[in-house]
Amino acid sequence: MTQTFAPTRRLLMLGSGLLAAPSIARAQTVAITAHYSMPAIFKAAQDAVLEAFHASQSDVRVTYANPTPSYEDGAQLLLRGAATNQLPDVTFQGLNRMRLFAERGITRDLRPYLAAEGNPAELGYSPPLLAIGFQGGQQAGLPFAMSNPIAYYNVDLFRRAGLNPDAFPTTWDGVIEASRRIRALGDGVEGMFYRWPGDDWMFSALLFGFGGNMLTPDERDVAFTGPEGLGAVRLLDRMVKEGGMPNFAGTADLQAFAAGKLGMMFRTTAQVRGISESVGRNFELRTTIMPVIDPVNGRLPTGGAGAMISARDDNRARAAWKFVKFATSAEGTTLMVKNTGYVPTNQIAIDDPRYLSDFYRDNPLFQPATRQVGIMKPWYSFPGANSVRVTQVMVDNLARIAEQRATPEQVVADMATEVRRLLPRA
Amino acid sequence: MKAAPRLILLSLLAVLVLLPYIWMVSVSLKPRSEVFSATLSLIPQDWAAAQNYGRVLREIPIGRYLLNGVFVCGAILAFQLAFAIPAGYALAKLRFPGRGALFAFVMLGLLVPAHVPAIPLYIAAANAGLLNSYTALIAPFTISVFGIFLFRQFFRAMPDELLHAARVDGMNEASVVLRVVLPNAWPAATAFAIFSVVAHWSDLFWPLIVVTEGDLYTPALGVLWFRAEEAGDDYGALMAAAVMVTAPLVIAFLLAQRRFIEGMTMSGLKG
Amino acid sequence: MLTGPAMLAYLAMLLVPTLAVVVLAFTDFELGMPGFRWVGFDNFADLLTDRTVAASVRNTALYVAIVTPASILAGLGLALLIESGLRGKIVFRAIFFLPVVSLMVAMATAWQYLLHPTIGPVNALLRMIGLAGPNWLGSSDWVLISLGAIGVWENAGFNMVLVLAGLTAIPRELYAAAEVDGARSAVARFRLVTWPLLGPTMLLVTTITTIRSIRTFDTVATLTQGGPNKASEMIVWTIYQEGFSFLRMGYAAALTVVFLIVVLVVMLVQTRIIEKRTHYA
Repeated sequence: MTQTFAPTRRLLMLGSGLLAAPSIARAQTVAITAHYSMPAIFKAAQDAVLEAFHASQSDVRVTYANPTPSYEDGAQLLLRGAATNQLPDVTFQGLNRMRLFAERGITRDLRPYLAAEGNPAELGYSPPLLAIGFQGGQQAGLPFAMSNPIAYYNVDLFRRAGLNPDAFPTTWDGVIEASRRIRALGDGVEGMFYRWPGDDWMFSALLFGFGGNMLTPDERDVAFTGPEGLGAVRLLDRMVKEGGMPNFAGTADLQAFAAGKLGMMFRTTAQVRGISESVGRNFELRTTIMPVIDPVNGRLPTGGAGAMISARDDNRARAAWKFVKFATSAEGTTLMVKNTGYVPTNQIAIDDPRYLSDFYRDNPLFQPATRQVGIMKPWYSFPGANSVRVTQVMVDNLARIAEQRATPEQVVADMATEVRRLLPRA
Repeated sequence: MKAAPRLILLSLLAVLVLLPYIWMVSVSLKPRSEVFSATLSLIPQDWAAAQNYGRVLREIPIGRYLLNGVFVCGAILAFQLAFAIPAGYALAKLRFPGRGALFAFVMLGLLVPAHVPAIPLYIAAANAGLLNSYTALIAPFTISVFGIFLFRQFFRAMPDELLHAARVDGMNEASVVLRVVLPNAWPAATAFAIFSVVAHWSDLFWPLIVVTEGDLYTPALGVLWFRAEEAGDDYGALMAAAVMVTAPLVIAFLLAQRRFIEGMTMSGLKG
Repeated sequence: MLTGPAMLAYLAMLLVPTLAVVVLAFTDFELGMPGFRWVGFDNFADLLTDRTVAASVRNTALYVAIVTPASILAGLGLALLIESGLRGKIVFRAIFFLPVVSLMVAMATAWQYLLHPTIGPVNALLRMIGLAGPNWLGSSDWVLISLGAIGVWENAGFNMVLVLAGLTAIPRELYAAAEVDGARSAVARFRLVTWPLLGPTMLLVTTITTIRSIRTFDTVATLTQGGPNKASEMIVWTIYQEGFSFLRMGYAAALTVVFLIVVLVVMLVQTRIIEKRTHYA
């Protein structure tokens, strides 16, 4: 194309420098590729963002590689690509895996790009939002879609158990008591499920809720052996002992909840759309914020996806930045929220009612997650080669609580020993 | 055994075996809100078949994936047969040095999990510029140790006199294979075909690694499209896709089964 | 000469990549890392003290010990039952073969629902006869048994087909002769004719089923991810997780090498026995 236009351009340049400008711009169009995971959730959002991005400018053209089914597949794609120089230019990865790519030098530090834009806050990148993507000592990525844990509950079961559905318990003591009363309805009805299996995310919600941390600030030792960590595990133990929490595997909790046989469920807000469709008109579903543990120091972990730049070539990386900036802008995040229900990742879109207030008025189930934005902190990624394996150690140990085969004290001690062994040897 | 008890017992067992399938088909017809209920009801109250199957047809080129599946599985099978029949014959009927060692390698190959050679093969394919091509989908499976194993068992049961007669007639080893062994191998080939096609039709692992762009996905990956662990699967669409991907295999088996059973029979499978 | 093309493909597609993995077993290679270091036998030493590997080996052995005999017997039983009459042969063969073509990624949801502790139809049935069903996939006491049952479901059809083939190969005249010799009952004829003539088939079925159950992966990956607390951790899943989820390729390679050596020894011993038996027959 460019070749064919060349003579025309030269003619135009002779005639008028002004007219030449658009043609030159077209000649410099950069084509980049982008990759994301979980098309069932993100395809509509990504397509909308891409369309708006292309409409907004003509310098950069983005094409998507085939989306990978899960974040894990997406991470493997990037790691394999790094081994063979088959990397996409932009990649959307699970927030807890960004550190891994940053440490391996597969993705770029975004600080120079942000610095070139001036004051990040004016673009809507507030310090807490930047912190979500600040991993392993660099700005590894920018959050594109965020989630945090919320409470889902079955209003009909609340009423049948004589509980007030308009006053969902604000403490875990209240939740455990409510669970006991719902469970007393019998007929296979369970009171509550706290989604601890899978990975360390929901456990960190309890730990952070107590104001605790996974590791010490220098990342040399575990930090969950103190009162916060023990408190978190004891709380899980009480849910099982006093709240009668069953040991659901896989998605058994979602199935029981949809069948109207589970009173309360604590899970990511990312499930809102799926759960409300599964529930349909079977019963009245509501969502609310998580019970508070420590009102001052308590925090919640952030799940979801972040945009990262993996382009090798500087020119393509500059083009990639334009796309990343757009996808995480107020406009981009609005499109993302409307198509997925995840938490917005741009402060302007959060503060300015023009962007999303209509959406949240029409979709109240999505609201609780946004009310928790102020206490969100990054989903902790462990340092070093064993970063993913560490999370498995935690889940395995928590299973002993769920099955009542060990005391919280034993579990915390074993977890500490095993995690220490997997930390980088200094 | 009397006819009635046999039929009753078989039918009961059949229902047990079919239960997951019946549920799968039933879910593919239901709206999401009816999928999980405390009472097992297979007939939907609101039919959502159009919605579920519609979503599959709208979102992924399932027809294209099925055709890819036919082509890829067909090509894999052709290569596997071309390689495994002579090898199986040689291992069964010819005496040559190292035969025992070769057979040990075949047994070893049977055990290697598919994931193990995947990364070296991926790197090789990437360096050869073969990613996102049919070649990358087919080449790693051109050799089937299971095929060699099966054909070896098959040819061991083949009477030696048949081969002797051919050799006495002045055929060399190549024409023995071409004119005597091959025509007699088709029953075992049918049997092997079913196992091979089933495996590669349903493979989720390798196609995901080598196909990153374009429409080269094989059928099973079409089902994976509707998995979304983090937000909860769209069960209706997932099951609809699964039905559409499994149905061709079931139909193919129904068509092939007479020959298939015969094929296994003639192979005799005499250790 | 005839094995030439096969051996070439075998070398390129299986042996060389596998050997590359064997080399990795002596390194600390990680997916995505630019280089690696030689670590000698460190990975192998780590295997010995790894709680996951220990659980994995134990579970795999137990699983194989349950699933192999059970699915062989189930396959044999189904084949005999189908062949003992005339009606519905084709239909039943097809039905029992169906699990062989199942897509686990979709079937996982079905199994999770069927085996659900509170709303699942299986436990609902058990309740009807007054039994409290266990938490099939969530309890560490039951999870391996549940996976085993699904394994039998998958493998029985496969074995049935192999046995059917063996059965039809038995000459009809032998049954008539046995009857003349006084084998009146079906059981006696089975012992006198079917079983001895089926011997070689059954040994082949045993080999194939053993291999298939040792390599079990899909059910673990889609249903339990090895949980709860490693109660369903199995060897190929462990290899996959170490290599691909935890990205520790070198360690996964070491595990693969040990796995291959151990199983190869077992298989060679088994083949010896098979060959010996065949000489008797």
